[in-house]
Amino acid sequence: MRRFTRFYLVREVPVFELLGEECLEKTVRTGRFYALSYKTRIDQDDVVALLPTGQLILSVVKDTYEQLGLEGRPSQYAHKRPMRYVVVIDLTDKSMAPGSKRYDRVLWALREKVPLKTDFLMACHSVVGTEAWSLPPCLSRYPWKELQASVDTQTLRDLPCPVLHGDDLRGETACEPHAFLEWLGAVGLGIGCENEATSFLSTYECPEPRTLVDQAVLCTVTGLLLPEDIHSLLEELRRYFDQPKSSSWLSLVVHGFADSPISWGMAEHGFHKGGENFYSFVLFKNQDYWLHMGTGANDGCPP
Amino acid sequence: MSKESQRIVELKLPEDQSQLLGVKSQNDEKAEAFTSAFLRRSMPGASLTKIECALVHKAVVLKYHKKAGPKKTKRPKGLSAKQRRELKVFQLKPEHLKYELFLPLHELWKQYVRDLCNGLKPESNPQVIQNKLLKADFHGAVISVDRSKCPSYVGTTGILVQELKHVFKIITKEDKLKVIPKRGSVFSVEIDGFVSHIYGSRFQMRSSERSAKKFKAKGNIDL
Repeated sequence: MRRFTRFYLVREVPVFELLGEECLEKTVRTGRFYALSYKTRIDQDDVVALLPTGQLILSVVKDTYEQLGLEGRPSQYAHKRPMRYVVVIDLTDKSMAPGSKRYDRVLWALREKVPLKTDFLMACHSVVGTEAWSLPPCLSRYPWKELQASVDTQTLRDLPCPVLHGDDLRGETACEPHAFLEWLGAVGLGIGCENEATSFLSTYECPEPRTLVDQAVLCTVTGLLLPEDIHSLLEELRRYFDQPKSSSWLSLVVHGFADSPISWGMAEHGFHKGGENFYSFVLFKNQDYWLHMGTGANDGCPP
Repeated sequence: MSKESQRIVELKLPEDQSQLLGVKSQNDEKAEAFTSAFLRRSMPGASLTKIECALVHKAVVLKYHKKAGPKKTKRPKGLSAKQRRELKVFQLKPEHLKYELFLPLHELWKQYVRDLCNGLKPESNPQVIQNKLLKADFHGAVISVDRSKCPSYVGTTGILVQELKHVFKIITKEDKLKVIPKRGSVFSVEIDGFVSHIYGSRFQMRSSERSAKKFKAKGNIDL
């Protein structure tokens, strides 16, 4: 886990900087660059995201869209009058080559018409064997900080834990997958599952059948985690079962940013009462796995 | 029939002219009697009244003259819309569409606005200037689209060539004539440091009618 890619928090970056020729060379052309605007709410402010496929997504408020002058479409999650618009610019497209009319128009809109400025979380996955990626000079002139994903480990003792069987999806002999997911969330949040009569906070109960487990490890990682890193983590977890261990299953839950403009491919993501979009893997000894994919109210169905 | 008989009668006269000269008045009766007898003979079926009618001399008017009355001077009514469209009075020819040709117009407009606002000093009240501009004519002003419901209009700048009821016709620096609808856009006009924003949706009237219109603050200014 120490091998997670370092990410950068850069403050007050004007968005047109990302379109500079030199910047494009070091970031978008690598094909592994991720950038997301930091602390901008998806339902209130303008959110900017840059994908590794080279697409720049601006999810902007109505006023900003009318002043910006770039064509986009109204957000799917709008009522009678759209209050939110999504502008997608493909930076790898031929028409966006530096010097073309479209490129000039986009640059003019982002530089002179409405100078959008946000804090960014940026990371670029480096290929194994080459040196780690660092901020290009066009971005490092703004105040930046290099951060590492923070890892927090907890050991839980005497935890009531449901019994699971890998191929049992309907919960006939063992715990049902949906109930298990709920229990997992409860454990993650530290909610007590005793369901005592005197407790008014929660009536969550550990699903039947259950056993009592001596020790369990709960590990939380926070930061801008890249898919490649999560993939390698998953591989490691699979290898954990190569040697005989006492536990019969382990689970990995990955949460997406609540304020990201997209989720699951290019589907639009909104924030209704919660901006959850996550998936969780439950791995069993025999290399079986359960995959739960969860989304919030203003979201498309996961693939 | 009557024509023929008349011709016969006329033909006869020159032959007997010398004989008839002296005794004309008598011959009138005789001639009449002779004519009627002859007619009766030649037109056996016709009645006496018909013969009489045939002999009546009617005057045939060959020309008709009307008295010329006092001449009324006509007021020029002006051309109707159809005639205007045919004459293409409001269409600009392509050779006239050069940005440089409209720059003198822009200078004229600047002068006009300066006179209208009594010279644009930095301390003049923007409210007063705005009120005056509402009734002013904008032909020749440099207008740019600030915000618009349709993002492709945003940013177009140029000299206003024509103001119609619902659109602005603008010529850009690249000598292109752009037609921009007023609805759903906010235009910005700049004069001597004063920038004025015009909400196009509320401005939809002919410039001639706008000078007489009172603007009320109704509804919201959301695009």
